[in-house]
Amino acid sequence: MKTPRLSPQTLRVLERFVEHPRAWRYGYELSRETGLKSGTLYPILMRLAKFSLLETKWVTTEDGVPPRHTYRLTPNGVELVRATFAAARSTLKARRPAFSGGRA
Amino acid sequence: MIPSAFPRSVAIALLRFAIWIAPHDTLDWGHAMLSELNHVEGSWAALVWSIGGAGVLAKHAALAVILPGRPRRTVSSANELFAKEIPMRKTTLAVIASCVVASLLLFLAPVFRQAFHVSLAQWHDVFHAKQSFGYPSRDQELDALVKKAEQNRDAEALAFVAVRYPNEIQRERLANEAVQLDPNLTWLYAVAGTAYLSPSEIDRRVSVLKQWDPENALPHLFAAQKIGATVTYSKEFPLGKLEGSPAWEKEMDAAFQSQKLDNYLDRQKQLDHRVLSRYRLDDPFQAVSGEDWYGFPNYGVWECSLYAQSLLESGKSLESRGDRKAAFEKYWAVARFGQMMDDGDGFTFVMKKDMKEAYARLGALSQTEGNNGAAAFYAALADQFDKAADKQRLLFRNRFQGSDVSHWNAFLVRLSGLLMLFCAVLLLLCALGIVVRSRSLRLSSLHPSRLTLAFGFSAAIGALISSAVLFVSYWPYSELLQRFLSKGDDAQLFELSAFLRDTQLPFGSQFNLGPGSWYVASWSVVFYFWFAVTILCALALLIAVFRHFQTRPQTSAAAL
Repeated sequence: MKTPRLSPQTLRVLERFVEHPRAWRYGYELSRETGLKSGTLYPILMRLAKFSLLETKWVTTEDGVPPRHTYRLTPNGVELVRATFAAARSTLKARRPAFSGGRA
Repeated sequence: MIPSAFPRSVAIALLRFAIWIAPHDTLDWGHAMLSELNHVEGSWAALVWSIGGAGVLAKHAALAVILPGRPRRTVSSANELFAKEIPMRKTTLAVIASCVVASLLLFLAPVFRQAFHVSLAQWHDVFHAKQSFGYPSRDQELDALVKKAEQNRDAEALAFVAVRYPNEIQRERLANEAVQLDPNLTWLYAVAGTAYLSPSEIDRRVSVLKQWDPENALPHLFAAQKIGATVTYSKEFPLGKLEGSPAWEKEMDAAFQSQKLDNYLDRQKQLDHRVLSRYRLDDPFQAVSGEDWYGFPNYGVWECSLYAQSLLESGKSLESRGDRKAAFEKYWAVARFGQMMDDGDGFTFVMKKDMKEAYARLGALSQTEGNNGAAAFYAALADQFDKAADKQRLLFRNRFQGSDVSHWNAFLVRLSGLLMLFCAVLLLLCALGIVVRSRSLRLSSLHPSRLTLAFGFSAAIGALISSAVLFVSYWPYSELLQRFLSKGDDAQLFELSAFLRDTQLPFGSQFNLGPGSWYVASWSVVFYFWFAVTILCALALLIAVFRHFQTRPQTSAAAL
């Protein structure tokens, strides 16, 4: 499976998704939580969707208000995020002794 | 004060426009950003949100133009809600077609064709770099005229070409042929000048001119110039020291004693008018070709000041020895020659210092001899001389450098000509893109993207506006040319000449107008132009290679 390049900003977005993997999220909500501007956030969402890591849906919230685009991770996306974060954690564990006294 | 709702309105308009130009596969995302705008808190925050989103969509729109065939995917089924690629709208097409037709119709007007031809002059140096560093050797229009003139044995037409032809050998031959056919055109030798002629040919021409018009000082100035060039480059005299050369002094003395100083420019303009009318030539560049020539030998005219100084020195020496009559004659010779130059083409400022001194000396001598009336007259002339010479210098500068109006108009003509070409190319690319994409020429089956439509629409409007600006900017100069061609009125021809001189500069090289002026050498502009073309070609090649590698695996997979 091809995966997108995981930049620090992408990881920040994925972190938000992985907290509640089954929940649908709004763009503006993600922007506020991650501190990313729309010009950074949407290319990330578009890329994740392109690689089938993210699914999207239009939802009507209330009468008279235009439908909103919502997002959540696909099973592939959840799997990739968990694997990525697990790899990141093991890398950190492996490095810690080197930083904490030189005993490997 | 800005109303609080204003930034939000701008944000909505901006995002809607971005959605309008965005490619099909980003449509959902554009609408997603737009719908989120309703939930963004604060008007300015909404504007920032919108700018970011519009930037993303614009980037995708630009990529879609460069890589139209890249793989596209949509991520939801909401496409039906926002149908994007629609059949080309009839009204849009009608507006584009109207603009194009209106621009093309302008070409039916001869003035507009002439204006367009003038606007293309700026490309000459760009595409003829080799010739711009040397001298072009041929001119097709003049070649055709020479052919006709030789068939008709038309001496005037040959004379017309002789002062314009770019190749000096051909110019020399044509001048001799014209004078041989009609000896009344001997003045042509003076107008054609002596540059690039062999010393023997200069001697021959000067001798013929002296016989033909013995009272004119001009042939003597040509002869003095030739001697001056020889003396200055010889080892016998120090650089610039001409006064010791008897031959040079003899020619200058003959010039200063001559009855008149005629540079024959009036005759040349009359001949130009007759030839242009006879052969129905309306090329403005040919009509004003001799307008930036002031009719005197380049160095000879500056040598006049040198000789005037030696006459003044000689007069002072005679005056100190008590020979006031001889001194008066020396001073008078300087003043009289200066007046002859003034009667010609306002060249007095070249000898400004010498003439002022001559008048002052004449006044002082008249005072000494008790002739108070003459003394007051010469003193008044000396006083007024500064102002008169400065005025002449200004007129002279305006004549050869042109007015601010002509600089502005030349700038507009160059700019509008450039925009016309740019819009035409853009329009063609859009049309080609739509046809290739739709693979059909039927109007109903053309499905342009909105960005293509926006480009096409802008290009059509741009072409029409730039054509109109070109027409309006050139119109006054076409009137000046027509006045010269039909009535021989050459009063404002120098304005046309200055304007045409500016139009030949590559765009971006010079702009001669007050504090906003700039100057970049023409060859630098030519270099930057070809550098940019090379970079763009390299980029296009890179994109093509990138596209090739992008599509290759898919093709292989499809084959399997």
